[in-house]
Amino acid sequence: MIREGNEEMKNSENSSDRGTRTLARRRLNLLKSTWFFLLAVLVGLSIFTNLMNPRFLTTSNLMNILDQIAVLGIVSAGMTLLIISGEIDISVGANIGLSSCVMAMMIRSGQNVFLAIMVGIGLAVLNSTLVGATSILFKAPSFITSLAFISVFTGTALAITRGAFQTIYGQFETIGVKRFWGILPLSFLISIIAYVVVHILLSYTKLGRRTYAIGSNPSAAHLSGISVNKAKLTNFMLSGACVGVAAMVLLSRIGAAQPSTGQGLELRAIGAVVIGGSPLMGGKGKIIGTVLGVLLMGVISNVLNMLRVNPYFQQVTFGALILGALAVSVLSMYKKRGYVRKTKDVKKGGN
Amino acid sequence: MEHNDELVLMKDITKVYGSQEVLKRVSFDLRRGEVHCLVGENGAGKSTLIKILSGAVTPEDGEIFINGQQASDLTPRSAMSLGISTVYQDAELVDSLTVADNVFLGDERLFRFPPIVNSRLQVSEARRIIDTLQMKLPADVFVEELSAAQKQELQIVKALYRNADIIIMDEPTSSLGQEETRALMKIVRSLKERGMGVIYISHHLEEIFEIGDRVTILKDGQHMGTHSISEVDMDLVIRKMVGRKASSFFSRKPVEIGETQVEIDGLTQTNVIEDVSFSVRAGEIFGIGGLVGSGRSELVNLIFGAEKPDRGTVYINGRRVKPKSPRRAIRAGMGLVTEDRKRLGILVGRDIVENMAVVHNEVFKGPLIDGKEEDRLTNKMVNELSIVASREDQTLEELSGGNQQKVIIGRWLLDDATLYIFDEPTKGVDIGAKEQIYDLLVELAERGKSIIMISSDMPELISMSDRIGIMREGHMVEIVEAKGIEEEELLRSFIGIDDSGGK
Repeated sequence: MIREGNEEMKNSENSSDRGTRTLARRRLNLLKSTWFFLLAVLVGLSIFTNLMNPRFLTTSNLMNILDQIAVLGIVSAGMTLLIISGEIDISVGANIGLSSCVMAMMIRSGQNVFLAIMVGIGLAVLNSTLVGATSILFKAPSFITSLAFISVFTGTALAITRGAFQTIYGQFETIGVKRFWGILPLSFLISIIAYVVVHILLSYTKLGRRTYAIGSNPSAAHLSGISVNKAKLTNFMLSGACVGVAAMVLLSRIGAAQPSTGQGLELRAIGAVVIGGSPLMGGKGKIIGTVLGVLLMGVISNVLNMLRVNPYFQQVTFGALILGALAVSVLSMYKKRGYVRKTKDVKKGGN
Repeated sequence: MEHNDELVLMKDITKVYGSQEVLKRVSFDLRRGEVHCLVGENGAGKSTLIKILSGAVTPEDGEIFINGQQASDLTPRSAMSLGISTVYQDAELVDSLTVADNVFLGDERLFRFPPIVNSRLQVSEARRIIDTLQMKLPADVFVEELSAAQKQELQIVKALYRNADIIIMDEPTSSLGQEETRALMKIVRSLKERGMGVIYISHHLEEIFEIGDRVTILKDGQHMGTHSISEVDMDLVIRKMVGRKASSFFSRKPVEIGETQVEIDGLTQTNVIEDVSFSVRAGEIFGIGGLVGSGRSELVNLIFGAEKPDRGTVYINGRRVKPKSPRRAIRAGMGLVTEDRKRLGILVGRDIVENMAVVHNEVFKGPLIDGKEEDRLTNKMVNELSIVASREDQTLEELSGGNQQKVIIGRWLLDDATLYIFDEPTKGVDIGAKEQIYDLLVELAERGKSIIMISSDMPELISMSDRIGIMREGHMVEIVEAKGIEEEELLRSFIGIDDSGGK
């Protein structure tokens, strides 16, 4: 780290005698990144579990994991956008509950399945937009407005279903159950599409730049011509779309919906994003981290099953995992701070 | 003998970062009742030296004596208990507590029973300290209501309360106006009279000659000499700092001034800015001067649409611009380099390219990012503005203040604008970068741009501007030709002495 500071000093000495300089390209230092660490944990965990229970590393088990994490992955992809922009939506679980109930009820009443799905996704987008819009309108943190909307969504779902289980009797199973070549789950492919879309948005579009900018420094973003509120709202809509798609996959897999469907998913999604190295303060993060975070959650859940751990302890484990991820991110922040202070010493003695 | 009035003695201090020696056997001492100034360009090692003294940084070699006692392994805590107190630029105060509460923070005055905080006693004791320093600091208001200058005063009060006898001031006047600076000087003098030692770091050499007793000059981590102030003049100090002459500081190429390009007409935001009108011609640098709080930054924020005006219009090339949002202003051909770089300028944690290209990508491009163009433009600016950086993915806060500022300025140069607004363009940047920024302003003027520049630095304001608009309490009270105007004359209009005694 210190070495970098010196490179700079050298550069400053040389800059006068060299004509034009080109900055070294951006590069990803994989070895130093959180992602490498996550990957190592994943591999280590897998090897360990396989020693304990050789059924772990079988194609069918691995494909099961991918199937199980698809819904979480889709929701987390949208959540990544929100968290990078410095926002959060803890009503995504309730949103899934409401929109999947609406889808299921429409299908039960004999409506066209495609129409039902479209209405459900549209509703999810609308719900998410409401969370964002109220946050902007009332200048309240989205944490608070989404907290309020959990009740609104769950309550609405309870009211329209009267609390009853909405079974769709195997209609539109394809999305949740279909496996290509008999192994690769379609739901997993859908989650990959969600990741790729978010990755493209973040890395190659204006919206992505806006998202990072407003997460990093909203005032500076505003003064640079970015309309902060529009960008925020767009991210909420995109996250809503992810929630809608996740609701569809979930409904198809389970074949039924109820108001409590999706409960607890918000915490696991936020957890996956944070474990993946996007701090809740916003302005930083990449989708690859979220992918690994989701994968880690899925693997751990599976491992605990394989090792026959009491299912109630799984919840405890997830909580501990999120705390661990927070600890890692806080530690790296302190390290970073120390680093920044040191380089300041080298370069700007006057300030 | 000598040790009696020697508060601090630092001997042959060496500090190494990696292979870089940032301090090379530097010695420094501080006596009772003196103001010892520390000067040098950014990167000369001033901050490192005082960080060593305040225990934040450990030196590789050298000895430190405090009050004649050798102090090894200083930590921020032990330094504080040895009577060393630092007044920081960004005050570390609790905004939601009162001035008195802040003074006694962690050491509250309690009632005997029940043991709750005795606010009244705290306020009266705090007031006593404040009075001995002849400050105008209310003891019972919340810190969030204080000005930057008052916050600094509060830090001094805190230091005094803790019986510190060594006070370190690092650029204490960088966010203060003329009047407040003067008040601070008075306080420093009274600290001196109390027999305390003050280490004073400032870019403003006039201040050093006003209050300093001795001056130590650092250059690239080397001790260039310690002199009694009466032995040296500003020219010599500057030469030792940078190795160039003072005369090269403020000479500016004249630029041919063209037609009126920008017109501000009756801009008003009730109770903040009242009915301000002026015009800027092509190639003209229009300076805006005034005391802190006179509405200078507020005015340019209105022009740029960062704040919404109640009345008034801006015309650029005769076209009416309704300043509704920065986005509109940028599209209409404006650019604003803000004063508060950290809060309003840099995208923290994002790299140089993203910081540089943010306006270009946002306002002048389609929905997709052109990575290659971005890289090309960034490298172009890095060369044009001689920005010192090594990699594209360095985050902006890894660069020095001057280089951060250049990146922020570069942001606005990627696309041609008609009006460039600079709010304190050289705040917190070293002399070398300062000159480059001046050259850049002149170059922009040569290219027929209109420039509005706010500056608290009098020589800068006078020597860079063609005309100067003087702000006082939200009004633009006067527009004067910069040529030949005296500093004193200008200051008088800032304060408003000519108008029946000011307020």
